[in-house]
Amino acid sequence: MLSEIAIIVVRGIAIGSIFAMIAMSFNIVHGATGILNFAQGNMLVLGGFGAFFLANETGVAWWLLMLPLTGILIAGLVALQGWITLLPLRSSVEQDSWLISTVAVSVIIAAVLMITQGPFAYTVQGVVPSFRIFGVRTPGAYALSIGCMVFWFIALRIFLRHTFVGLAISALSQDFDAARAAGLPVRRLQIVAFAISGLMVGTAGFLVAPVISVASDAGLRYVLNGFVAAVVGGIGSNLGTLIGGPLVGVVTMLTAYRIGGAYQDLASLLVLVAILMLRPQGLFGRVSARRV
Amino acid sequence: MALSETVGARGAASAARPRFSSDLQQVWIGVALIAVTGFGPSILGNSYWVHTFQLVNIYIAAAIFQNFLFVDAGQKSFGQGVLLGLGAYVTAIFFGLHDYPFALAALIGLGAATAGGLLFAFPALRVQYFHLGFVTLSAAIVFPQLLMSLDRWTNGINGISVSLPALHDEFFLGLSPLTILVALYPMTALAIHYALRRSRLGRQMRVAAISPEAARSLGIKPGVMRFIAFVIAAVGTGVCGILYLPAVSFVSPQGFNVELSFVFFFAVVVGGRGQMLGPVIGIWIVFILPNIALAQFVEYRLLIYGLLTLATVMLFPDGIVGSIERWRVKRGVTGRGEQAFRVDAFLEQLTGGSDRQPTDEIVVEVRGGTKKFGEVVAVDSVDLKVRRGEIHGLIGANGSGKTSLLNVLSGLSRLNAGSFFIDGREATRLAADRIADSGVGRTFQTPRIFPQFSLWDNLRIGMDARTGEASAGVARLAEVLEKEFAEDSAELLSHGQRRLVEVMRTVLKEADIVYFDEPAAGLSSSERANFARLVKFLARRMGKTIILVEHDLDLVFNIADTVTVMEQGRVVASGRPEEVARDPATQHMFVGGRRA
Repeated sequence: MLSEIAIIVVRGIAIGSIFAMIAMSFNIVHGATGILNFAQGNMLVLGGFGAFFLANETGVAWWLLMLPLTGILIAGLVALQGWITLLPLRSSVEQDSWLISTVAVSVIIAAVLMITQGPFAYTVQGVVPSFRIFGVRTPGAYALSIGCMVFWFIALRIFLRHTFVGLAISALSQDFDAARAAGLPVRRLQIVAFAISGLMVGTAGFLVAPVISVASDAGLRYVLNGFVAAVVGGIGSNLGTLIGGPLVGVVTMLTAYRIGGAYQDLASLLVLVAILMLRPQGLFGRVSARRV
Repeated sequence: MALSETVGARGAASAARPRFSSDLQQVWIGVALIAVTGFGPSILGNSYWVHTFQLVNIYIAAAIFQNFLFVDAGQKSFGQGVLLGLGAYVTAIFFGLHDYPFALAALIGLGAATAGGLLFAFPALRVQYFHLGFVTLSAAIVFPQLLMSLDRWTNGINGISVSLPALHDEFFLGLSPLTILVALYPMTALAIHYALRRSRLGRQMRVAAISPEAARSLGIKPGVMRFIAFVIAAVGTGVCGILYLPAVSFVSPQGFNVELSFVFFFAVVVGGRGQMLGPVIGIWIVFILPNIALAQFVEYRLLIYGLLTLATVMLFPDGIVGSIERWRVKRGVTGRGEQAFRVDAFLEQLTGGSDRQPTDEIVVEVRGGTKKFGEVVAVDSVDLKVRRGEIHGLIGANGSGKTSLLNVLSGLSRLNAGSFFIDGREATRLAADRIADSGVGRTFQTPRIFPQFSLWDNLRIGMDARTGEASAGVARLAEVLEKEFAEDSAELLSHGQRRLVEVMRTVLKEADIVYFDEPAAGLSSSERANFARLVKFLARRMGKTIILVEHDLDLVFNIADTVTVMEQGRVVASGRPEEVARDPATQHMFVGGRRA
């Protein structure tokens, strides 16, 4: 009984940390562009594939070398995607195109993975050994997941508040037109934001590969749970994701243990609908002033 | 310029002018295409194509409702496949597993689809845009999972087979009742979409989708519009599910995974968002191309969907039908320059009676109104009284709180303290649409013109916002305007003309109280003079009460009966223009002798 609670809490928080990282990667892009990248879950899965192809059952040193490489590769991919997504927005005022193009990219990545890798889930060996916590054997990747979330939270905070580029990106999220008027290279900053979001989920996917579903069709589920985490925390609030992510993680883990694994996504959908109905701005979100 | 010149000289030319909207033509083309593909294969006796186009036509109908929901109501749903699946699966459960009569089972199936639509619609009352995209996408992912795991009721992975031989009996020219039904249904769906567009409800939905603030100021509740749209689309898509059952004779969870929802969504994008014919062409390309024409590459179909859609967004965002339509419009529609829209002649329809003067009755009153945005106090315990029939100028520097006050008085934002009254009734906590319904109209700093609408429809949404019957004068005015502008584009209007369109909207709405938010900004000096005359006409001849927020002090001091000066959220002076001009508190506004 006690061990079951321990499993639910520890694994829920760890899985939730992945959702939190997706949510944070949403936030940085959303702040800089107003875009929510539906392909972000596929990028996480691609990070997992990176671990499978580059660093499965290798030594720690090689693994440590491949981690940044995977992150940079995926950062480049997301930057490219961001560039493509932003292209039609340059000339037109039309706002639907990013929704369509990021969903299309998400479908394309899943389809390419399906064609080249098949419908199977790949197993990745963890480098960090498993450990015991509250008497329960826990894979090391769970600890990496929580650590990675904390790392990215702090790194983002420092980046956004204490570096020139980060401050400029923050300025974009405050007032877009003012930032442009102030002479900031808006388009380049937006692509940097995309790249950082890719770096985050790419490294996250690499680190947690042993405990996530490294499969062609898994991306959508991660992106949705990441979105629920972002909404629970309040879109735009990285602090909120630290609560929102683990909360969603524990809820889905609890559902998996108590009701059945098939109902996990239903549970997060219900959390999403409940929070949208009761507190659409999320736990830490601000009600933004309306412009007329 | 006299209040009489304009119009004329166009009667003969207008017959040759192209129609503004090609919706009706597109509906007919769509009906013809569906008829050919729906009935043709049966007549030719090709059972493979009979079967294929049964499914294609069902999908076309579902895509038509997606198109309506996506563009007319502005709701991006990735979950329409769920509603189709609910209709099909629930019907199959009751008909196939529990031996209910088909009609009853179908009715229950339709109820289930509608209930599913309501589940989408409730969050839509609160939130919109990408939130709903994620909610509906989640539903599309969860739905097949539930079909699998609730196997006590759904038969799980084995699915449900049904047989309805009566519907497959060929009774005439090789046609079966089913073939006729599934061909007639998308035609009906097109007719429904067209009829909705032409209706008051449809117009209001589109206004709410494009500009929620403008919608609310026209008495429309955007949340309710979204809700109705979701329910209409759910019922329409649920019927597709019921037809799916006899057409395929089998349901299984794999048939209703997220891919199905993507097909409908992508078909609308590729075919052309908002075009009546778009879903027909879209389904042909998105569904037929990979599944039939390139059947040997069937595992590539998702990749093809994705690439087609991405290419469409990047290269021709209007989609296939939309690009053709754009070319047609470009070729046919020409601007009419200065003559495109002038109101004077039309207002003649309303004249009669003599000039009126402001009365002493107070129609708008603010008592201690305070509005804060975070730490910023935009409106600081303001008292304001506006008399019936007067032109009340509200002036002050940028950021002095004029527009904030106007937004409060329209119900677009709420006071933090104090209260305000309209026609003697407290309106402090009334929603914008309720305030609009109580006889308030307004214009915006950027005119809210809807290029999707003809010029007449842009005006007509003012008529749509009425709460009662139109007076004789306004009804006559509407008739003239319709005749004149039904086939005109609003997109080519100049800024000044757009402003006039907004003003005319409030006239058609017969708003007693009209707010103008910086109406003269961007107008030429002759346009300003005309505008000043128009405002006087509205107040003196039509008896409207006008609150005018404006930076052009010449304009305000020339026409206003009362001027109120705001500074940093406070009222610093208020009274007749000549008194205010002499007030020491306002002298700095007129520095250098020239009013700036």
